Parts: sequence; C-alpha cells; structure tokens
Amino acid sequence: MCEIDENYGDILEKSTIPCVSQMCMKCKSNSAALIIRAGDAFCRGCFKEYFVHKFRAMLGKNRLIFPGEKVLLAVSGGPASSSMLAQVQQGLSQDTPKKLRFVPGIVYIDEGGATGQSMEERQMAIAQLKSIFQATGFPIHIVHLEQVFSLPGSVLEAASPTPTGTDGSYKGAVDQYIRKGSTGGAGPSEEPTQPRGHPVLDVQQHLAQLSTMEVPSSQHSQEMPSSQQSQALEMLFSSVRTLTAREDLLMTLRHHLIVHTARTQSYAKVMMGDSCSRLAVKLLGNIALGRGASLATDTGFSDPRHGDIMLVRPMRDYTSKEIAFYNRMFGVASVFIPSLDTKVSEKASIQHLTESFVTRLQTDFPSTVSTIYRTSEKLQTACGPQDRDAGLTARCLLCMCPLDTTSDKSSAFHATLVSEKLSQKLPSEAAPPKQGCLSSTGRQGKDCGALTDGCCSSDRTGRVPELGSLLCYSCRLTIKDTAAVDSLPPYILTEATRRMQRSQMREEIAEFLLEEDDG
Amino acid sequence: MPVVCSCCAQARAMLKRPKTGHSLCRECFFWAFEEEVHETIVSASLFTRGETVAIGASGGKDSTVLAHVLKVLNDRHHYGLKLLLLSVDEGITGYRDDSLETVRRNQRQYELPLKIVSYEELYGWTMDAIVKQVGLKNNCTFCGVFRRQALDRGAMMLKVDKICTGHNADDIAETVLMNVLRGDIARLRRCTAICTSGEGEGAVPRCKPLKYAYEKEIVLYAYFKRLDYFSTECIYSPNAYRGHARAFLKDLEAVRPSAIMDVIHSGENLSVREGVRMPVQGTCNRCGYISSQALCKSCMLLEGLNRGLPRLGIGKHHRLHGKILAQQPLTLDEERKLKAVDF
Amino acid sequence: MAASIVVHLEFGGGAELLFAGVRNHQVTLPSQSQPWTMKQLLVWIRANLLKERPELFLQGDTVRPGILVLINDADWELMGELSYLLQDQDNVVFISTLHGG
Repeated sequence: MCEIDENYGDILEKSTIPCVSQMCMKCKSNSAALIIRAGDAFCRGCFKEYFVHKFRAMLGKNRLIFPGEKVLLAVSGGPASSSMLAQVQQGLSQDTPKKLRFVPGIVYIDEGGATGQSMEERQMAIAQLKSIFQATGFPIHIVHLEQVFSLPGSVLEAASPTPTGTDGSYKGAVDQYIRKGSTGGAGPSEEPTQPRGHPVLDVQQHLAQLSTMEVPSSQHSQEMPSSQQSQALEMLFSSVRTLTAREDLLMTLRHHLIVHTARTQSYAKVMMGDSCSRLAVKLLGNIALGRGASLATDTGFSDPRHGDIMLVRPMRDYTSKEIAFYNRMFGVASVFIPSLDTKVSEKASIQHLTESFVTRLQTDFPSTVSTIYRTSEKLQTACGPQDRDAGLTARCLLCMCPLDTTSDKSSAFHATLVSEKLSQKLPSEAAPPKQGCLSSTGRQGKDCGALTDGCCSSDRTGRVPELGSLLCYSCRLTIKDTAAVDSLPPYILTEATRRMQRSQMREEIAEFLLEEDDG
Repeated sequence: MPVVCSCCAQARAMLKRPKTGHSLCRECFFWAFEEEVHETIVSASLFTRGETVAIGASGGKDSTVLAHVLKVLNDRHHYGLKLLLLSVDEGITGYRDDSLETVRRNQRQYELPLKIVSYEELYGWTMDAIVKQVGLKNNCTFCGVFRRQALDRGAMMLKVDKICTGHNADDIAETVLMNVLRGDIARLRRCTAICTSGEGEGAVPRCKPLKYAYEKEIVLYAYFKRLDYFSTECIYSPNAYRGHARAFLKDLEAVRPSAIMDVIHSGENLSVREGVRMPVQGTCNRCGYISSQALCKSCMLLEGLNRGLPRLGIGKHHRLHGKILAQQPLTLDEERKLKAVDF
Repeated sequence: MAASIVVHLEFGGGAELLFAGVRNHQVTLPSQSQPWTMKQLLVWIRANLLKERPELFLQGDTVRPGILVLINDADWELMGELSYLLQDQDNVVFISTLHGG
C-alpha cells in the first residue's frame, strides 16, 4: 500500500555522511577522538566531561534521588550498567559541591539457570563481577534466579509510596540532609530518610524475616541454588514454548527479585542501566508485544509501578556507542554473560527481531534511535496518582501495570475474543464448559500436584488458578505460551488464588447489595 | 493427515487463522470472517439505517473484499444501507486504467452503482503529469493527499453519509509502527481510530470495517471466493521507509501471528502526556477543507505544481501561506529553494 | 528411488511478476532418491523458474513473509510447511499479499 492519507516524506531523508573535522568541536584545540552523533566530534577530555556531566544532569533534572537515600544499582555486567556503576562511583568520590549524595548498593541477578549455563560458568562469572564490585566498596547483593521459588506473595503488591524527607519535596530532603551534616557514608545501617513508624517499615521487616537471600556484603561465598530449585526453574522455562515468552518471563522474574531485594534491604530506589539505544528497542518491541498501555512506565525515567520502590533509568540519554567508547577509553570493565538470545537467529523472538530491525534501520537512517526514544517522552505514565485508589486487583499479577483489558467492545482485544468464539464449536456442542475463572477452586489438583511434586515449597495449594483475568493483555500472551502454568513460582500462584478469592467475595457482596437495592 | 476444522469438527481445515491459531474449513472461515466484520460494524456503531455509504474502491484485494462482505452483511443483517462504489482515477497509465476495469467488473458483479472521480477533473493534473514535474521521490505525497480529498469531494457530489475504506489490520499496525519510527505522537494517537468523524466543513466521516481483519485472511477470502481483484503494485510506489515498516511487521507476524493485533492493541491503549502540543484543526482558507494551517496540504501542493515550485507543498513552509493566499509572487531566493532540482 | 513427479504451480497477487508475468506453470520434478519436499521445491523454483529479484520471493530457506502458500487449496501451515512431501499432481499456489490495497 502506498502512502494513503499520510505524508512521511519530509523528515525521513537519509542523512548524508557529515564532513568530519579533525578538531574537537567543543574545546577546538585538541584533535577529535570520536563522533558522538552526526557531525559532533569530541576529543577525549571533552568527551569525558560531557559524559560525566550528562549523568549528573539527568539526576538533577528529575530530582527523584534524595540525598542520603539508599539506592540499589541493578548491574548485569553489561556495558551500560557497568558504566552506570562507574559513574556513581566517580560521582561519590568527587570532592566538590557536585558530589552525588546518595548511598548506593549493587544487585546482580544471576540468570544462568534460565540461560543454560553450567554451575561452573555461573560461578566464574560471579567471581569476575565480584572483583569489579568489591573495588567500589558498595554493599553487594548477588541473587540467583532460582530464588524466585522462595519469594513471598507480597512481592506482587504495590505498596503505597513512602513519603521521603520532611514533606516529600526534594528541597525539603536536601535541607534536612544538610542540617544533619551527614557525609552519606556507605554504611548499610543508616536509614536517614525513612520516617519512623511508617507501615512500610513493618512490611519491610516482615519481608526481611521471610527472605532467604540475605547476602551480607562482607561475605564472599554465595551458596549456589539447590538442585531442587534448579530443576523447578528448568521445568518452568522448558514449558514456555516460545523464546518471546521466555524472554518476557525472565524479565518479569528478574524485576520481582530486584524489587524484593530492594525492599528487604531497605533501598528506596533502584537504578536500571537501560541506555537510549536499549530503550528505543524496548519501546518498539513493547508495542509489538501489546504493551502499549504501559510504554511510559516501561521506558520513562521513573517507573512507579511498585509504589514504595521506584525504578529510575539514569542512563537513558546515552547511546550504546557513547557507552562503548567511554568504557573502552576510561577502562570501565564489563563482563560478557550470555543471555537467552545470544547466538539465536534474527527471527527467534519478537524482542530479538526488534533489536536487529532497529539496529539495521539506524545504519541507514541515523536518527532512528533518537526519534523512537523521544516518543517515550511524550507518553503518559499509566500508573499515575489517579490509579492509586483503584486497588490492587486492577493491576497485572505479573508486570504490575494497570490492567488494559477492560477496554470497550470496539477494540482489538474484544475483536480477538470474538474471533476465538467464532473459530470454535458452539458452546452447546462443546466439551464440558469451564465454570468461569473460579472453576479452579473446586477442582482436585491431582494431576498438577503430581507434576510439580517435590519442587515447590509447602504452601502450594495444589490448584492451578486460571490466571487470565488477573493479567494484562501482554502478560496473557506470555502465559498463553506457557504450557505448565502450575510450574510458575509459588508466590505467583498463591497471590493469584488470593486475588481471585477476593474478587469472588466482592462479587458476592455486590450481588447482595443489588438484592438489597431491589427490596 | 488432514487437520479437521475446529469449528464444525467435520470438514477438512483449509487455513490456519493467524489471529487465534484455529484451523477452519472453507465454509466456517467464510462465516467467521463475515461475522467478525459484522461484529466490528455493530460494536463500533459504524452505520445507521438508511444511510448512503460509499465504498472507496481501488480494484485491489482489500476494497474488493470489503465491497463483497458489506453487500453480504447488508442483506444478511438488514442494515438498510444504500451502498455504492467510489473510485478515484489518479491518471496513472498502465496501472489505474487496468484496476478501474476491475472496479467496473465489480460494479456489474455486485450490482452496485459506481462513481469515478479523476485527479484531472478535480485538480487539473494527472499523476503522470505530476511525476513528470516532481520526479519519483515525493510523488506519493501528492497522490496520497490528493486521494484523500478526491474521495471526499466525490462523496459530497454523491451526497453520501459515510465513506468506507479497505484498510485492514496489517495497514493499521503498519501505520502505528511508522508513527513510532517517525516520532509522530499526534498521528500515533489518531491512527487506530476506526472512524474519523467529519469535523469542519467538507469532510465526510470515514470508517474502516476491515480494521481487525488480517491481510492473510482477506487474500484467502478473495482466493477461495474467486473474487476478481487487481494485484499490481502502483508503478510509482518505491517508498523505501514504509517498506521497512511493512517488512518488519511481516517478520513480527511470522514470529508471533497475533503480533498484528497486539500492535493495534498497543496503539489503542497509548496515553499521551498532557501538555504535548497537538495541532489544532481548522479549515483551509482557500478550499474549506479541514486543515491545521491557513492553507491545506492539498492546496499547497497544487499551488506548488501550478507555480512550477513542487517543493512548496513538501516540508514546512507555513510562513509563505499569507503570500500565497494574497496571490503575491515569491522572492527569487524563496523560489530557488523550492525548485525541483535537488529532489 | 522416488519417481519423477508433475506438480502444478500458480503464482498470484503480484508474485507472478517475478516469473515474467506467467501465473501457471506445469513442471516436472526429476526423479531423486528421496521424495520431494516443499523445501526442495523452493530451491528448484529459485534455480529454474524465478526470473528476477529472488529476495522478493525467498528469504533464507523459505518464502518471504507476506507470501501465502496453499497446497491443494489448503494453507501450508496445516500441511507441515517446508517439510511437506510433494505428491504427483499436487497443486501449489503462491499468493503475494504485499501488493496494492
């Protein structure tokens, strides 16, 4: 089809190769070391200054990281998050008024159990990372993906945001910080901004007791996961039919572990290392995955979906080229760890396909990444304050974003349901009909109990809840590709059952109220 | 071993549905396809009894299937619509004259009235003549903008209440991707709407009853029904960038067949930050058509053609609107920039 | 040894343009040790029938996304796609969906 109704010709001209001047465009005295974007050639020194400034400027502009606050850095070992770690380290060591004033810690999620690495490979990677992490002196939390099998259901609850500082304002927090004259040392025992007696603290203490993954920063030996948990994880991932869904599930579980670590170790913020290039791929990929409703949450600077733990993305202004050059020039070490999509074909998953597509388009049209990325600036965060009263059931069980499946009858979601109905036998002829989403509560769970025997903790209900109604559009697709829903970690299944019982109760109450009205 | 239809459980399945993964036989597929379009029409309240509805007919697969299905549904569900075919003759030798032949055959097969409006009578320019002046790089801009108005003007001539176009799910999803790639938030928000209501004078409401129909199913529907359609690419349509978006969408569909619907779902649920400036719709001071500027895109393109300055309508030259409305000449410097030389 | 087989090929929806505009082809696939698969047929088509721009018809070892394939009027996704074993007198249709609206 040609360009009916549309006119795209004006801004999509291929850019011509810029004329490269040999001098740095900033100081105009040193010879250039790299070109950042079309035409901007920087020398080594100016590039470093520019790079360092951008990190602080991003935090300064958004004013979300308060002085003295404990901030968890999610480091995967890859170039972007390693670069972020180096920026924080440098920002804290500086003895200037520009010094960063928060208290960092590091979390690394070891995903080797899902990506098919051997225990030896995983231990080697962890050892390499630890030597990098230890040089920073920050507390280190190493978490294995297998630990999802011992998470508490409360991970899936969005706690209300913790008011920080005197009146929650950035300025107030800064004043308070200055009054205290705190130097913001890296001592993990300090809790300068947590108001006493706040309910969240109780929850956190409670969670800390439940937690099985306490990893003191001074200890170097982490226990590798038990073979029972390893098998459970293997069973879960092998039951997911597509790489697209596997990648999606892995990301969800990783998020849960990070948030749980932050809560139990009383961090209020988590910094993620997503670069501008990464976010552009994520934005387009998420559109393809049906995650349009939560684009802003997934790609914006701040991600408030978990309530008390806010995720921030301070690396979102850097392209992967800038990061690669910086790391190379200034000796930032990173560790290559194979992921689910390492060495797979271009079309193996939606995420991977999108990455190849954006990369290729970027070569021909150099503004591709920045244009896509700018789109994210114009989007509304779906988890705004107006949604806070909507209650927890209105959020997706897995990704914690507000449900986007309640749209009206004229929608793609509804049209798909209609197609499904019309493509099947009429209900009257069909096999015994399901009794709606609550049918599972009455079912005997012999078969699923047998399948998962021995791999899960004792609080298993033995029933497999029908998750559909609790999930957003995109997470439904992931679960649709999962053959054995009962091999999901217990905290998810338990929370699902709980939510369904609650909604059933609510329905019953509603019926009762209606009858009252009638009478 | 042949797969059995998941609907009737008797006949042999002839296709796998990309949207749901079900396998259907020919008859169950026809029924499901038609009823889904019906559901789309009903749930979005696209029509009102007694309305005259023009089907934008190009002779291609989408509009041919649309005309066929609308006729079937109008009879089956007693919509009470007066349907007619409306075609635009862009004046492209070797492409449009052939496809218009197909539309004329459709007219006879479906017994629907047909009206053809030509660029030549509306604008005084055929696409062949335009290409001669502007070359092959921006001609799709002219064609697209002119076609949009041509359908409207044809519809007004015929006193039509609504226009239906054959845009299918793949087209909508592709447009969502295009608008993300070019960062056009205003279009991104609008492009998934099934109906554009006629704001301002001159615009007839349009709708897309095939919005949720996969291209694959449209082609198979036409194939199994032996519908007569024309399938040659427009000879002037090289557009590389849109080609990238389409190829990407087709690859997505190959990885996860529901992806096309998933992209549309994403587009339907985007929320745009308040305070992002959206263009205000007004009307063109020359022709009265809806426009966010003093002069509409079509009038600017036309002015450019007539002045021999084809770049006038391409890109943003809002500050020249005043001069053009006052019919003043441009300065030599302004003219130099708008000539076709470095197209 | 599998005997040589005759299959009927049809190209439509614009795909015929890559085959010099010829829609229908009656072709004889020579005898070979194993039965002919769809995968081999595509290789054969590329070597013997395709007139121009093979990348618009084939990508990797399969057809380009957006080209529908029907074997004896049924969607090839129901027939095992590339692994389908061709029979004598089979009818294979390729329809491009990438042309014109």
